[in-house]
Amino acid sequence: MKPLITVENLDFTYPDGTPALLGINLEIGEQEFIAFIGQNGSGKTTLSKCINGLFKPTAGKVIVEGIDTSRRGVIKQLVTKVGYVFQNPDHQLFNRSVKSEIAYGPRNINLPEEEVERRVREAAQVAGVSEDLFETHPYFLPKGLRQRVAIASILALKPRTIIVDEPTTGQDMQQSLEVMNFLRALWKEEGHTIIIITHEMRIVADYAERTVVLGQGQILLDAPTRQVFSQPEILQQTYVEPPQITRLAQKISKEEPFRSVLTVEELKGLTKEVLS
Amino acid sequence: MTEITASTPLTTLPTRKATARKTLLGQVPLDSPFYAFHPVTRLILFVFLGVIPLFIFIPEINFILLLVNLILLRWGKVDLRRLRIYMPIIFTVAIFMFTVVILAPGKDPSYTPLTVLGITIYYQPFFFTFASYWRLIAMLFGTILYFSTNHERDMLVGLRTLRMPFVVSYVISLSIRAAGMFMEDFRIIREAEQARGLDTKAMRFSDQAKLYVMYLVPLFSIALRRADEISNALFARGYTLTGRVGTGGKRSDYIRSRYVMRGRDWVAIFILVTIFAAVAIAQIFFGVFALTHSPLNIYLRTILNIPN
Amino acid sequence: MDTIIEFQNLEWKYENTKEFALKGINLKIQEHSFVGVVGANEQGKTSLLSAICGLIPHSFNGIYRGQVLLFGKPVREMDSLELATKVGLVFSDPEAQFTAMTVEEELAFGLENIGYSLSEIKERLEWAAQITMIEDLLDKSPYDISGGQKQRVAIACVLAMNPPIIMMDEPTSMIDPLGKRLIFDILRKLKEGKKHTLIVAEHNIEQLAPLADEMILMSDGQIVRHEPTLEFLTNPLYLREQGILPPECTEYAQWLKNEGYLSPDTRLPLELEQAAALVMPLFEKKVVK
Repeated sequence: MKPLITVENLDFTYPDGTPALLGINLEIGEQEFIAFIGQNGSGKTTLSKCINGLFKPTAGKVIVEGIDTSRRGVIKQLVTKVGYVFQNPDHQLFNRSVKSEIAYGPRNINLPEEEVERRVREAAQVAGVSEDLFETHPYFLPKGLRQRVAIASILALKPRTIIVDEPTTGQDMQQSLEVMNFLRALWKEEGHTIIIITHEMRIVADYAERTVVLGQGQILLDAPTRQVFSQPEILQQTYVEPPQITRLAQKISKEEPFRSVLTVEELKGLTKEVLS
Repeated sequence: MTEITASTPLTTLPTRKATARKTLLGQVPLDSPFYAFHPVTRLILFVFLGVIPLFIFIPEINFILLLVNLILLRWGKVDLRRLRIYMPIIFTVAIFMFTVVILAPGKDPSYTPLTVLGITIYYQPFFFTFASYWRLIAMLFGTILYFSTNHERDMLVGLRTLRMPFVVSYVISLSIRAAGMFMEDFRIIREAEQARGLDTKAMRFSDQAKLYVMYLVPLFSIALRRADEISNALFARGYTLTGRVGTGGKRSDYIRSRYVMRGRDWVAIFILVTIFAAVAIAQIFFGVFALTHSPLNIYLRTILNIPN
Repeated sequence: MDTIIEFQNLEWKYENTKEFALKGINLKIQEHSFVGVVGANEQGKTSLLSAICGLIPHSFNGIYRGQVLLFGKPVREMDSLELATKVGLVFSDPEAQFTAMTVEEELAFGLENIGYSLSEIKERLEWAAQITMIEDLLDKSPYDISGGQKQRVAIACVLAMNPPIIMMDEPTSMIDPLGKRLIFDILRKLKEGKKHTLIVAEHNIEQLAPLADEMILMSDGQIVRHEPTLEFLTNPLYLREQGILPPECTEYAQWLKNEGYLSPDTRLPLELEQAAALVMPLFEKKVVK
């Protein structure tokens, strides 16, 4: 199968000379759920911005559905392939009403007005933004809803891949579950590829199928989440710890299947098997 | 103070040593010779270079001041390539000033009309604009020099050493902080717009201008949410607007006490103040730096046969 | 031990909301205890802390009934200076709490407000910088450092004032794993120093539970539970209903107790090492190590 996104030997250096990414190679396929993890400054966000074309590679290549992101004038094409939801919804809501907010992207890519209208309704429905709110100013919505509007405004561009930067930061359990289950539905039911950038290992363990660990601008690990968490020694290099229950299971036994336990439920199951 | 240590081992931090320091407008190596001087000396240099062009009408001297600024930038180990970003301002100002003086020169019977490339220009306002332009550029580079080589704290210490009231220096520092956050928000908002298919490079100038109006919505909503938090933070740290302090005495000034004036500071300040005073007196009482003393002006008038 | 914070039937409503944010709070906090405050967002955690440090009622408009006593004196009658020497608060967004141009300035700011002598400022400042591991950041702009560093600077600012009560409102919610660990390291140092009363609101119970002596659960503007941490965590299902994720180890150990693998009087583990010590013997000889 042909990957959606191919990153080849990507280097990225900020204009002030700070190197941020070094020799990144990555392939992202259709309908994947990926987590990018690592410390601040490890390159997660920079890599994501290279993938959606906001940043142009200093060296190497990023190919998104056949388009080389370093070519000039590809922005309008790229935004229909990769969507990027920023961490703080306030930064990405600049229109006077929820409706014009969601319509902003489709209008930018010069879609006919009736198509814009259709996409707005569709995106709002998928993101759970009620049409009663269409005329409200986004500023007056509670944070959870602002985030949904931000996601809807990306969905309206119909990108295959959606990158969400720290979807659960500052949220409580209920709110985190809501947004993560929503992303899971986009992945499972709508067939999108979802990439989340997060510091919450429990979220990674519960939702991501594949995890990419970044450290000092390089990929330290890129594997199914279960495999990633079963290598605590490598994770330690970038100060990332597997979920607590995984660490407990690894203390019980360094061998499989204990080594790669991800949730409390899994460990309960194993316990029953082994002890009775 | 009591020693506090934890029983179990703590997380060890990765260490990284800095060789350059970030200034208000860029990055300067730590060994820049500027840092051998007290912040107040640097602040006085700024006032000197920034204000002295006001007394000097002769474009040649302002041009020399510009060169002095460039030499100081070089001496201070500032990466001169960074100055490229100021080129648009420099050209825009020039275009604006000369367009205005060509299209609307003002009317005075003593003006001498000249025809250059089929356009009628008037010599006197044109030369005056030319001279003013170099004054502005000299002042601009004085400012760039200061902000490229100084840190926020240098500025603060400088202001405080000059006995600026605490509130004044505090408001200045708060505005710089606010401006910094504003710029950062601005950058993210632009990225967010790009992520929704906005290609500013492909846009007409008038449409770009409209965009800036659009940015105001998120910028102000973020600023509003933040303003509350900042005022709470001030409260939580015992700040009273009146400047009253807990002991009832004077506010202590810790940061300033960390810097000492040395001999070379006094010498530098003495030289700067003397030159400044001399230039100011020479101009105010004797008009030494008036436009009529510009060699270029005299030369042009001679060949174009324009009376004084 | 002495009660140093006392809520007497406190009710508080912000001027622009319909409902009361705090609905009749009665609470006593003992000196040198470590209190964790948990609950979903918008349930009153921040309001509770704000009422202790005086932001409520001094910085907000609203309706205030009942009272809060700090060392026996009503918060309402104290001004910002007096309060700042008694109680310090660290906010969740490290970005928004800075006002100065450098970290050192930021630290000195509160101390200068109190009017300490230069030598005392130096001593306190260095002490706070050392505990929070920010010595090498002092001459940087608080704007140019990472989120985790910012939060440590914010903590240092409060520590430098050395108030007997230190409160933090979700101090780790916006920072990376290393930053989180360092902040809990600082909290641990402070707890072991036994000089401060610590009140911390957090979603991250996994790291909070091993430190907290007692936990408060806020829901709908009320304190619905206030118990020693161990008792608090014995009912993971109830906590999940309240929007609280108990530490995974504690949840697992509770299940082991319920299933009869561990005896009913086993003390629940609050952190990984305790859990491992409890669980590993069960699997002895049953699994390959």
